[in-house]
Amino acid sequence: MIGSIEVRSLSRSFHTTVRRPGFTGALRSLVNPERAVKHAVSDISFDVAPGELLALLGPNGAGKSTTIKMLTGILTPTSGEARVAGVVPYEDRERNARNIGAVFGQRTQLWWDLPVRESFAILRDIYEVPGAEHAARLKEFDDILELSSFWDTRVRHLSLGQRVRCDLAAALLHDPPVVFLDEPTIGMDVVVKEQVREFLRHQVEQRGRTVLLTTHDMTEVERLAERVVLVNHGRLVLDGTLDEIRRKYGSTWQVRATLADAHTDVVPPPGITLLRQEGPQVVFGPDGPDAPTVHQALKAVIERYEVTGIAIDEADLEDVMRAAYVHAGPGAEGA
Amino acid sequence: MAVLHAWRAARVTPLGELHAPPRMTAVLVRLIVQVVLVASLWNGLYDRTTVSAGMSREQAVTYAVLAVLASRLRELDQYAGRDTVIQHMHFGTIVYWYLRPLSPARYHALRALGEQVYGAAWALAGYVVCLAAGVVQPPGSAAVGGVFVLSMLLGQLVLYHVMLLLDQMCFWTVRNSAAMLILIFAQNLMSGVYAPLWFFPAWFRTLSTFLPFQATLNVPLSLYVGRIELSDAPLQLAIQAGWVVLLHLFTRFLWRRAARRVISQGG
Repeated sequence: MIGSIEVRSLSRSFHTTVRRPGFTGALRSLVNPERAVKHAVSDISFDVAPGELLALLGPNGAGKSTTIKMLTGILTPTSGEARVAGVVPYEDRERNARNIGAVFGQRTQLWWDLPVRESFAILRDIYEVPGAEHAARLKEFDDILELSSFWDTRVRHLSLGQRVRCDLAAALLHDPPVVFLDEPTIGMDVVVKEQVREFLRHQVEQRGRTVLLTTHDMTEVERLAERVVLVNHGRLVLDGTLDEIRRKYGSTWQVRATLADAHTDVVPPPGITLLRQEGPQVVFGPDGPDAPTVHQALKAVIERYEVTGIAIDEADLEDVMRAAYVHAGPGAEGA
Repeated sequence: MAVLHAWRAARVTPLGELHAPPRMTAVLVRLIVQVVLVASLWNGLYDRTTVSAGMSREQAVTYAVLAVLASRLRELDQYAGRDTVIQHMHFGTIVYWYLRPLSPARYHALRALGEQVYGAAWALAGYVVCLAAGVVQPPGSAAVGGVFVLSMLLGQLVLYHVMLLLDQMCFWTVRNSAAMLILIFAQNLMSGVYAPLWFFPAWFRTLSTFLPFQATLNVPLSLYVGRIELSDAPLQLAIQAGWVVLLHLFTRFLWRRAARRVISQGG
């Protein structure tokens, strides 16, 4: 289907040479190298619907980039299958290339010694984009990314933010239905990040592009993604909405209440535990896997006690993801 | 086919150079210095003799100066721009070559074509100036001129594939500096850039026939100055064409192997 991504039991292993420590070890590795197999991605399955923005998350070395490289056709999986816009990417690279755009972090695809517009023109020729279509699309990108103020500058003289904006435009100039973005905003300032987010929202909502995004920036995930796939140690740990992830790993809220009567006998509602009590000040937290959400807890506390003040501290997504990464250690089962 | 539309990728090198005037000035100065020194050296060497290694003063000077001009056709500097295999492997941007509807092999060839046409413009301009100044002699006849052009084209194809082999090495070794130094020396020595091959001992010339380097410059330049007779041209052209076919098949095989190395070396 145009714009969809289907991943079935995708795995990729690499054969590496084990480097032994020290001079003798290095010599032994040279004469008698010891081979090891590294499973970068193991049995991952997920789907991305046309027009959906999916965040592929995980700590460094989790297998995100390897997955993206298989989906872009750069890398052939050891086993499993993937289809991007109906094409098996590693079997038909050139056909797949017409359906996808990609940005790999700070690695630019622009021509270093040429003005940005020349790079765009070369890509136009490579992708066989008609001139009028190319001009219209450039204008559309310029409206959001403000490229025209520097697109006559040589790439080597651009700032990081300018360059990444140009790279984003370059990746979409041929109007691909599917876009892969591997940490596109890494190292950028907040203003440019917001500009890029607006651009991506526009591409998903107005142009209906399917976007697979990897990032370590949780603000970006909150602003852009409704659905998240979490991988760790090459395995899929969770595939769900942000709410589901919060429910599973984000139950680190606290409800701080000031009781009207400091001598109240505090017996917390079910699923809630008393963390601290200092006179009329009490702090509640979640208790066990069936703990209520922070809003349910707030309601329960107000209903049970007479309070003169109440506040909540909810874990932000970064805390949630940290908890998820810790829970999803080696051998964690898929959710 | 994307390659038909993408022919303009060939303009990458000329455009990059036009946007970097200091680099063009450096090329001009270097070319002038090299031509003057080489012409002076060979004129000096012929001070006490008229014929050496079967070549007259005019033949030797013409050969040597044309060799200098022709060496401009394909710059061996792989660090000047970022769009070389070694630079892409170093920065991990080689992945983009595999994300376009134009194969890396075709893109590489288009880039090289632009580079060689750009170099040819320099060489031709230098040739016209040297011819007008009497530093080099014109070809003996129109037929010699025609055969020279054909031989030069074949020689450039051989050179392209030799350079491509060096680039492809990066997929296995990431850096190719040592190999590049060896290759530049071998290319200059065995193609006749340092000195016409006719001045080397017979065993050296025999050895050269088993390597592709002499096919890049020595053959076309020897045809131009008449050191190789026109009657021997078909054989020499056939040998050059043989090298092109052989190297093309080998590099095509290596492109297929290199695709499997993209991630492990350039990921």
